[in-house]
Amino acid sequence: MIVLSPRREVGEFRRRYKWMAAFVVVVFSILFGRLVQLQLVQRQHWGGIAKENITKTITLPATRGLIRDVRGQVIAENRPSYNVFVTPQLIDPERDLERMDTLMRLDEEERQALRRRLADVRPHRTMHRIEMFRDVSRDRMAALETHETDLPGVDVVAVPVRNYPFKTLAAHAVGYLNEVNAEDLERFRDLDYRAGEVIGRTGIEQSWEQQLRGTRGVRRILVDARGRQLAGESVLGSTRDQVRAPISGHDLVVSLDMTLMRAVERAFRGHPSGGAVVVDVRTGRLRAMFSKPSYDLNEMSGRLTSDRFREMSEDPFRPLIDKTVYESYFPGSTFKPITELAARDQGAFDPHQRVECVGYYEIGTQRQRCTSAHGDVDMQSAMIQSCNVYFWKLAEQVGLERLNQMAREFGLGAKTGIGINSEASGFLASRKWYEQHYGRYRVGYTLNTAIGQGNTRSTLLQIAMMYAAFANGGRLFVPQLVEEVRKPDGTLVQRVKPKLRRRVKVPAEVLESLRESLRRVVNDPEGTAYDARVEDGVQVAGKTGTAEVTPGSHRRGMDSSRAWYFNRSHAWFAGFAPAHEPEVAIVILVEHGGAGGRTAAPVAMQILQDYFSSRRPAKERSLPSTDTSSFGGVD
Amino acid sequence: MALVRTLRDQFDWPLFVVVTTIALVGVVNLYSATSASVLRSDEYIQQIYWLTLGAGVAFLVVAIDYRHFERYGWVAYGVGVALLVLVFLLGRSVRGSTRWIPVFGFSLQPSELMKIFLIIALAKYLHNDPKTDGRTLKDLVIPGLILAMPMGLILAQPDLGTATLCACIFGTIMILTNLKVRSLLTLAAAFILSAPLTWTYVLKSYQQERLIAFWERLLGRESDVLDSGWHAHQSLVAIGSGGPWGKGFMRGTQNQFRFLPDQDTDFPFPVWAEEHGFLGSLLLLSLYFFVVLWGLKIASQAKDRFGAVVAVGVAALVFWQTVINLGMVTGVLPVVGMTLPLFSYGGSSVLTIMIGIGLLMNVSMRRFSF
Repeated sequence: MIVLSPRREVGEFRRRYKWMAAFVVVVFSILFGRLVQLQLVQRQHWGGIAKENITKTITLPATRGLIRDVRGQVIAENRPSYNVFVTPQLIDPERDLERMDTLMRLDEEERQALRRRLADVRPHRTMHRIEMFRDVSRDRMAALETHETDLPGVDVVAVPVRNYPFKTLAAHAVGYLNEVNAEDLERFRDLDYRAGEVIGRTGIEQSWEQQLRGTRGVRRILVDARGRQLAGESVLGSTRDQVRAPISGHDLVVSLDMTLMRAVERAFRGHPSGGAVVVDVRTGRLRAMFSKPSYDLNEMSGRLTSDRFREMSEDPFRPLIDKTVYESYFPGSTFKPITELAARDQGAFDPHQRVECVGYYEIGTQRQRCTSAHGDVDMQSAMIQSCNVYFWKLAEQVGLERLNQMAREFGLGAKTGIGINSEASGFLASRKWYEQHYGRYRVGYTLNTAIGQGNTRSTLLQIAMMYAAFANGGRLFVPQLVEEVRKPDGTLVQRVKPKLRRRVKVPAEVLESLRESLRRVVNDPEGTAYDARVEDGVQVAGKTGTAEVTPGSHRRGMDSSRAWYFNRSHAWFAGFAPAHEPEVAIVILVEHGGAGGRTAAPVAMQILQDYFSSRRPAKERSLPSTDTSSFGGVD
Repeated sequence: MALVRTLRDQFDWPLFVVVTTIALVGVVNLYSATSASVLRSDEYIQQIYWLTLGAGVAFLVVAIDYRHFERYGWVAYGVGVALLVLVFLLGRSVRGSTRWIPVFGFSLQPSELMKIFLIIALAKYLHNDPKTDGRTLKDLVIPGLILAMPMGLILAQPDLGTATLCACIFGTIMILTNLKVRSLLTLAAAFILSAPLTWTYVLKSYQQERLIAFWERLLGRESDVLDSGWHAHQSLVAIGSGGPWGKGFMRGTQNQFRFLPDQDTDFPFPVWAEEHGFLGSLLLLSLYFFVVLWGLKIASQAKDRFGAVVAVGVAALVFWQTVINLGMVTGVLPVVGMTLPLFSYGGSSVLTIMIGIGLLMNVSMRRFSF
């Protein structure tokens, strides 16, 4: 018999049940309310996060457009760079690093960099991929790819990088790229750049960036909590939501002729520093833009070390400077045609009037020396022999303002509008400017201006466009580098038409007689460039120039053994060819090359002979004379 | 024959139906929750075994008049405490805490069973200590010791969740008695004052981190989403993204793509809420709401003090476990290890709840006998 305890009074508890029930109701109401909040009120917020959780967006980079020269030779293209990414969370610090080490055959520095960077990752970012090695060799890439499944935290991603087959040639005009920085992201916010993307920094790559870059695409994939890709795309919606293909950038056909550029490069051998411009006088299209010394675009677009950059920026020959558009020089005697045109424009000066050159010219108490005593000279023989005395006489009558006015008419003192590499506008000093800067105006300033010294400065490109206008009968063009914009499949997007800046107000017969004078500079035995002429080749017209350099101002801290070189004059040649039916204008500047006729003119001749003999199926390809031993007429 | 008639006439059908529904829904949900995992995908079968076993035990419990349990109250309590001590001798450590002992190839979690033994022990004590005038703190000393011994052992495992639950059950039962208001206030003050000590000496660093994470989230800062707040955050995402109708059975992305932690034990509700939406959540919440209120109703109709205290104890067990679990997964309470009664996977847990429900039904049926 089991004895059960007696029942006990439960009255003590009675009053509590209602309160307990009420408490239960309140607590469940709170939970109910919370569920209403989460599942009804905030459902879109949480739904968005849930979708984000399982979606990984992969950026598909756009292929940057190619750049080809006028002959179809590729100047800038893309090649794959294999970059190694690591997801710290998916890496076993011991086993996986060991394996990477073995597969990639890391050296000590790389090994340490790898460990250091993994150690630096902040805890909440361990699921983010970080770029560990850039542009690894094909061997390393292949080794990692083969063992891909063993190393889920390591990804090899092929990223297109820029490749420039011509390396240093036309580097300043073509330009280079590098990665966008924080400042770019801020400045070009509307253009939707992302960290890690590249942007054109100089030259065509910079100015035509928006045509070249294309539009990146995206691909959305399904991933689980550990970042592994899964099947089951229906969760993400239609296929159209998952992939947006990248749109390749447009290809550019530029007016440069890389074969001509090679000829320019050859002609500049032996001259450490200088520049050249070749322009089609009928269109204003630039066939050559040459600046020496140059740099390798592949190096500039890759990982340029700061040491290398400093080395380049401290190089006395200034490789980073584009000497065709960014730097301006005294034009020297290449300016004399402007003085002549200014004098004839006035109409007061008879071109046949003769002036006697005794080898110097006296202004007040000062005696200015000419290059030699030229005797009786008229306008044409003065130009041919580059007689300063004659042009001083002209300048005295014409005056500074008219000289400047004619110079402006031919585009000096203003930007040509090429649109690359922050072009210099050059400088034309007015009477007022002299009064402000030198206290008062002296007539000597005008005389200096007449022969391209004084304070007149111009870029090589300005001189080239000016000589093109002499050659084509007075049409001053806007220089052009890009001729066509095409889609990757070849469809034409845009054809850039030649753009006339202005038709200069100079009568045709005046320009005609100037061209004859310039032709004789090269082809008359008395001409300053006669010794550089090529007998059987294309007939060239032009003008030599020897621009004095302000002594000692070139570089501070230069030791004297180098100073002699940097105090030498710059050698110019500006002209066009063929002399009677001009096709191209050419400007050569050999920095510190000395006399223009002796140094610059042969360079120009060689380039032009190369150019015309390669363009025409020449019956007899005569090699241009490079003999610079004999003295030409000094200008 | 008499037993069968009693069962038919006095059987608590509403409680039976509701509890069975929760258990079956739990099995279905467990199927989805573990389908993504190779290692756990047969857990739903295990759960069916445990539920069947639990149902058998529950019927056994129902069949015996609960007053027999009153007689052996101290024995049960002693066995429970002994098992807890055994944990330290035989137990194996999982994730830094020692909670299980091996029995016939299974893992038994004595702290689960201890909840029931604690309820019976307290019931027995109160049954034999009928007071009509107000109780003071002095009257809490012995019940307090009854709580303290198992709770101390459980805390030492460490298992903060179960220990907290024991304290909650104890508190609920004590509130049932005619405790004086002044004593209640003193208790509350003591609790608040002891909080810093608990923080420093009782809580482990991971537990502190979770509490900090919880606090940060309450203040609207989610900076630690990938660290200690990860579980809580992904749980909210799962529940919230379920929306009104849910994503459908087996189609919850948070669950299937393994963003939810412990989706079989501590976080099965988010799985359910994600796949079946607000409608499903509301259904489940209502079922638990019913069980708790029904338990209180049974207690209020009990014929004696033991039955009343046992009923309140089981109701409190279900209530606190449900509220703490749901509060944790919905982000209104910090993350502690706490299963959802009958819904979570786990043999000891299922068995414990089934015994509890059996006791409840027992009290419910015995109200007709004199």
